[in-house]
Amino acid sequence: MNVKNMLLALVAMAVMLVAAPAQAEKTIMLGYSLPLTGSHAQYGEGFRNAATLQLERFNKSGKLKGATVDILFEDSKSDPKEAINIARKFVDNEQIVGVLGDFTSTVSMAAGRVYAMEGMPQLSQTASHPDFTKVGKYQFRNITTQAFEGPFVAKWAESLGYKKFAIVAIQNDWGISAAENFETAIKNLGGEITAVEYFNPGNRDFRSILTKVSRDKPEAIYLCMMYEEGAMILQQRRQLGIDITTFGTSSLYSPKLVELAGEAANGLMLSTTFMPDSPEPHVVEFVTEYKKQFNADPNMFTAQAYDAVGIMLDAIAKVGTDVTRESLRDALAATTDYPGVTGATSFDPETREPVKGLARMTVENGAFKLVK
Amino acid sequence: MDTYYLMQIINGLSAGMIYALIAIGFTLIFGVLNVVNFAHGEMYTIGAFGGLVCITALNWPLALVIIAALAAGGLAGIVLERLAFKPFRRFQDEASLKSRAMREATLLSSLAVSIIVKELIQYFFGAEMQSIPTQYLLNDPIPVGPLSFSNGQFLILGSSILMLGGLQYVLYRTRIGLSIRAISNNPLGAKYVGLSVDRTIIATFAVGSMMGGAAGILVGLYYGAIFPSMGFAPSIKAFVAMVMGGLSSIPGAVVCALILGVCEALATDFMAQGWSDMVAYAFLILTLIFFPQGIFGARRERV
Repeated sequence: MNVKNMLLALVAMAVMLVAAPAQAEKTIMLGYSLPLTGSHAQYGEGFRNAATLQLERFNKSGKLKGATVDILFEDSKSDPKEAINIARKFVDNEQIVGVLGDFTSTVSMAAGRVYAMEGMPQLSQTASHPDFTKVGKYQFRNITTQAFEGPFVAKWAESLGYKKFAIVAIQNDWGISAAENFETAIKNLGGEITAVEYFNPGNRDFRSILTKVSRDKPEAIYLCMMYEEGAMILQQRRQLGIDITTFGTSSLYSPKLVELAGEAANGLMLSTTFMPDSPEPHVVEFVTEYKKQFNADPNMFTAQAYDAVGIMLDAIAKVGTDVTRESLRDALAATTDYPGVTGATSFDPETREPVKGLARMTVENGAFKLVK
Repeated sequence: MDTYYLMQIINGLSAGMIYALIAIGFTLIFGVLNVVNFAHGEMYTIGAFGGLVCITALNWPLALVIIAALAAGGLAGIVLERLAFKPFRRFQDEASLKSRAMREATLLSSLAVSIIVKELIQYFFGAEMQSIPTQYLLNDPIPVGPLSFSNGQFLILGSSILMLGGLQYVLYRTRIGLSIRAISNNPLGAKYVGLSVDRTIIATFAVGSMMGGAAGILVGLYYGAIFPSMGFAPSIKAFVAMVMGGLSSIPGAVVCALILGVCEALATDFMAQGWSDMVAYAFLILTLIFFPQGIFGARRERV
């Protein structure tokens, strides 16, 4: 009898010994699927930097007592096949309660089908294709869609007196949706589209497109692409002597665009959610901290990721340490007025679409200026 | 026929010349070893980054920058040969030299080197596109009537002619050219008459990669785009031009590169430019069906 009691006591002690530290060090895992190699690696690097910055800030803030959050980064190479494999890996990992990413709409939607099927909340910082949130009820995004941005720029351009547009867009899900949304918006305003030209991702020679587009003599060109291609187009436009006003999507917004295109960028007009020289204190904090840690200027993409991670972490803090995939999804859907560096964000609980504000910007003398 | 088509032809020629610049070095190495050097696109990237360092860190004038890119490319070519090609030529007996497996193994080893180089450049420079000081950009407009040229187009045209001419001179008028041609024609025979196969192959790699490196910096300054994966897209087109030109005919590759560029530019009129890569692949398939030897490749001699 004595021996049995002693054994029981020993077992009880052992259990307590094991349990006590485990409870204090509970870690909640998030997954981040993003391109760290391949042609989109520069965006992935920015996302990872911003995410670690936000994560450090959160874990120090003490918003979540009794647990720390950690992020597992996986390289999707911006390839849908890779992202699906990563999605399966994340879903199988029982520690992971939520996933961030991926970068492009195409990749995010491919992986999103896995997350939707397995009930894993997914928050993309940049997937702006209208169908992304229609993949399933677990998809969220921290970016306004082209269905919102296209009409916004169209109205702005129309108010400046431009009616006849040519569109140059990158040929992927996002680019096509950006071009189509702008086209419908312009037509609804009584304007005219002379041509819609798509180019392959990776293309650096836009001379033949520009020559063709300018033949129809549009009043303005609308660019739907990333800032690198945008810089190339602006430069080659100057070299070909084509003097047509250009508008662009918010994805063109990056200090790098002005750096790469030089004076050819002057006059470009675009919408944006993030202004790094905004005087608001949390933007200033983000920009200085980012510069200090990574020796680079944050751009719109890094800001999107910073806020996406912030929204996810806040949702975890709301639920508490016993967060599950299901409760995290509900907490995300209830996000209202998250004070991010890209403006206050709320999710529509039904459609899970973000409600954000957009600003107008133009390039003057080699610098972005806010248009009042 | 208005100036529109003329302008498109000029756009096409300027793209074609870029494919040609890369195809020259590509074809030279293929001609000698009869293997595809998958790392040629990376020689191009190395040249561009080598030049970029000279621009941003040392502020060298353009002519020196191009020479530095040539040197960087040539050096990289020698290292590439040592790492990816030489180990597969260890056995010099007849059976090994004729074995297809030995030759095709280098296809993978060069691909491996290409991936490693790309990742290393990305590690040191970051994946972002590098910005180039404006005074170095070869993109100043030169309007001629209703047409618009740029100084980069003339420089690229000039260097293509210079490279092609220089290469033809080396191949047909010098001793090293003679041994390159001999080895490309019959490596075993050349070995038996006492030519140093190794030394000739190293020389070929140095020359071919120098041209790749020069192409890299010229195109980088012309587009204003220097980034680690810049070599991939143009080297695919250069590869198509090489196959069209008959795999080992250098003038053939140049002519086909120009044809390819012009057809792509004119195709913008009939289809979205996003489909214009199809032009290259269609040409590739048509060539393989109707001209299995390539359009300019009927002769036996391989350089």
